[in-house]
Amino acid sequence: MKGRVIRALSGAAAMALAVAAAPLLAEGPTDADLMNDAASTGDVLTYGMGPQAHRFSALNQINAGNVAKLVPAFAASLGGEKQRGQEAQPIVYDGTIYVTGSYSRLFAFDARTGEEKWQYDARLPDGIMPCCDVVNRGAAIYGDKIIFATLDARLVALNRLTGKVIWNKQIADYQAGYSATAAPMIVKGKVIYGNSGGEFGIVGAVEARDVETGELLWRRPTIEGHMGTLNGKDNGITGKTNATWQGDLWKTGGGATWLGGTYDPDTNLLFFGTGNPAPWNSHLRPGDNLYTSSTLAIDPDTGVIKWHFQTTPHDGWDFDGVNEFIPFDATINGKPMKLGAKADRNGYFFVLDRTNGKFLGAHKFVMQTTWADGFNPKTGRPNYNDANRPGAPGAAGAKGSSVFASPSFLGGKNWMPMAYSNDTGLFYIPSNDWGMDIWNEGIAYKKGAAYLGAGFTIKPIAEDHIGALRAMDPKTGKIVWEYKNKAPLWGGVLTTGGNLVFTGTPEGYLKAFDAKTGQELWKFQTGSGVVGSPVTWEQDGEQYVAVMSGWGGAVPLWGGEVAKSFKDINQGGALWVFKLPK
Amino acid sequence: MFSRRGLIRGTGAALALGLLPGKGEAAPLARVKALGVLRVVVYRDNRPWSWEEDGKLVGLDVDLANAIAAKLGVRTDIAQLTADESVDDDLRNGVWKGGLLGFTPGDLMLHIPFDRGFAARNDQVAIVAPYYRESFGFAGTGGVDLDAVPTQWRGRRLAVELDSIPDFYLVGSFGGLLAKDVAHYPTGSDAVQAVSDGKADAVLASRAQIEEGLHRAGSPPIALRKAPLPAFTSPGWDIGMAVRENSRTLGDAVEEIVTDMAADGGMKALFAPYGVTWKPALAMG
Repeated sequence: MKGRVIRALSGAAAMALAVAAAPLLAEGPTDADLMNDAASTGDVLTYGMGPQAHRFSALNQINAGNVAKLVPAFAASLGGEKQRGQEAQPIVYDGTIYVTGSYSRLFAFDARTGEEKWQYDARLPDGIMPCCDVVNRGAAIYGDKIIFATLDARLVALNRLTGKVIWNKQIADYQAGYSATAAPMIVKGKVIYGNSGGEFGIVGAVEARDVETGELLWRRPTIEGHMGTLNGKDNGITGKTNATWQGDLWKTGGGATWLGGTYDPDTNLLFFGTGNPAPWNSHLRPGDNLYTSSTLAIDPDTGVIKWHFQTTPHDGWDFDGVNEFIPFDATINGKPMKLGAKADRNGYFFVLDRTNGKFLGAHKFVMQTTWADGFNPKTGRPNYNDANRPGAPGAAGAKGSSVFASPSFLGGKNWMPMAYSNDTGLFYIPSNDWGMDIWNEGIAYKKGAAYLGAGFTIKPIAEDHIGALRAMDPKTGKIVWEYKNKAPLWGGVLTTGGNLVFTGTPEGYLKAFDAKTGQELWKFQTGSGVVGSPVTWEQDGEQYVAVMSGWGGAVPLWGGEVAKSFKDINQGGALWVFKLPK
Repeated sequence: MFSRRGLIRGTGAALALGLLPGKGEAAPLARVKALGVLRVVVYRDNRPWSWEEDGKLVGLDVDLANAIAAKLGVRTDIAQLTADESVDDDLRNGVWKGGLLGFTPGDLMLHIPFDRGFAARNDQVAIVAPYYRESFGFAGTGGVDLDAVPTQWRGRRLAVELDSIPDFYLVGSFGGLLAKDVAHYPTGSDAVQAVSDGKADAVLASRAQIEEGLHRAGSPPIALRKAPLPAFTSPGWDIGMAVRENSRTLGDAVEEIVTDMAADGGMKALFAPYGVTWKPALAMG
């Protein structure tokens, strides 16, 4: 609403309002501001453009009728030789655009001119082994602070005006394989975040710290058997020890929460997705392996798990289940319901009752799912195709039989966030159609010694595309439209009240589509692949759109046939900002 | 197995005769000698080969690196590399390209499997100087019938490194009969330590890890199984070293040194203080 009022005013009146608001801005965003972010169009305060992460803005100055005229206002380079994947979503506040860059850097740019105000470069130890490029997905803002996570598993709070460190806390041990790449979230004065790391022996957790001091308030491990804490005291174990794990494997069970979470003020629940179980080979860990490859609903005040839903029980394909769970309301069979949706790595779009985790439906959103034929509507469990589960480890020296599984382990949808339009009632899913040959290696070498490993080759499954932006109707499970892209899609989505959907492509374009029909209306070449998440806001009476450009992330690390679709894309590192010409 | 070695020799001879460009990258041995420093990469946290004790880097690979440098008449700059998901990745980070976070590649990296297929797909490096034959062993306390059929170990506490071949063997074999008895540790060395500390009854780990662990514990009543494990599929593997593909002069010199140390008892003596019996690589013939 705020944005609409300002836009209606004349230039002079808008200036007066901006001046009047200045003292307030000096205090910085409050908890109430963060919770209101989806409605406040003059800023972008949270990862997801609102705690529910709809990535929807009511702004409609730029719309399906005029988006073809959209032009750059300015671009700002992240500079240096550190031009790798730029997966960040910008934060916009008080005339400043904050973006995080590859190699754990944070930049403050003037939102009117693109001039750099300050830059913070985390000093990283050379012993970090990031699994999937040196990316960062964004920052969180609160009061005088801008907060982000670094590859050496630290959380750093900087003064948002100066870039000076206020606090800097180690949240996990990078030498033990932990890292951090997701944007933190702030709820009720607590910074809440997950963890990430290699496959080897780590255990997922969600933690909350005091935003003012960085001190730990609560910790909730995601694997059954592990003790949670609240204010330094034991707060009950997660699940029931050994209920769905054999022996001591739960101690190193995986389930990293590497993508962060969403928050629903309506139900006062945090939603975090959890990663795949360890070890990789599912034959060695019989059982569901809770709570891996699941969505967890967590009480933000205590860190207690309120409900869980497992999207891939006994995951054997490295699908993992970290994808964002987006709360939304809809009327189903005449009954208004509080729902939530998640487009999973496993290729299914889940709709759950977000008050209790009850399964309402799972709809295929990719071309092919070889591992399962739908979900049982009563139990909410997959109808497995047992023949498609990768095999048990075979004889050393021999290559095991190969299985073709789809989606590939990079998923029907990976980290890149979807958007939900309050206007169209559709979800816009950045998805990929690809499969993988997967086999056991007789001999693999790790740390100079012999191991049993698995081999993968990712393959396209269609002639004309890998990426596909799809509009999903959550009430019917039907795909309303799709846009096909040659290279895999790896960036987030934005939708607006202007009947628009924006997303980027590895080919370097930021594109705009008609939200109802999927017709491509505009594109702009940014000079490198776009794997970041676009945002929009209003400033001085004009609507702006911003996105990061800079090719990278996990896709270039897994070549194979898929690499043909992006072999000519160059590295980059820039913030691009667009508006309509006056 | 030795075709590559022959090739290295040939290249070295050509270089010595001035048949190849002799400056910069093409003459790594000369450059190492001119700088007076050999940068050697070893694995971080890889007991008994390389690990930190009281803040000091120690281990078999560390001693071997120093011995090689001494023979070359230079000092060492030993760098620890955190293992990535595969040795192929480690060769990229540690030898031919460097790490994403700025890790400077070494002139030489130790503890690289000496295996034809593996070498063929890692053509950015030359894998040279096989110096040890590694294999797995099973050891336990007096209460465990070490030479029994493995299914008789049901109910005993069996220690292994997580996600290792021993882990797959004990958890996955015999219809999963022993799965619940297997305790997982971050490294094989930690699994051996668990037996020495009385936290486990038996361990399946590499022979070097077992021998050094028992040596460290000071002759505890722990013995090694004599018979091979039934249906255990790893016959062992040779360990060598890697240099950049264009550093064959250095690779050749190092291979000469290692060959001499194998022949004159230097290798055996180097392993002895750790309680590890040196076993020549099969490729050494």
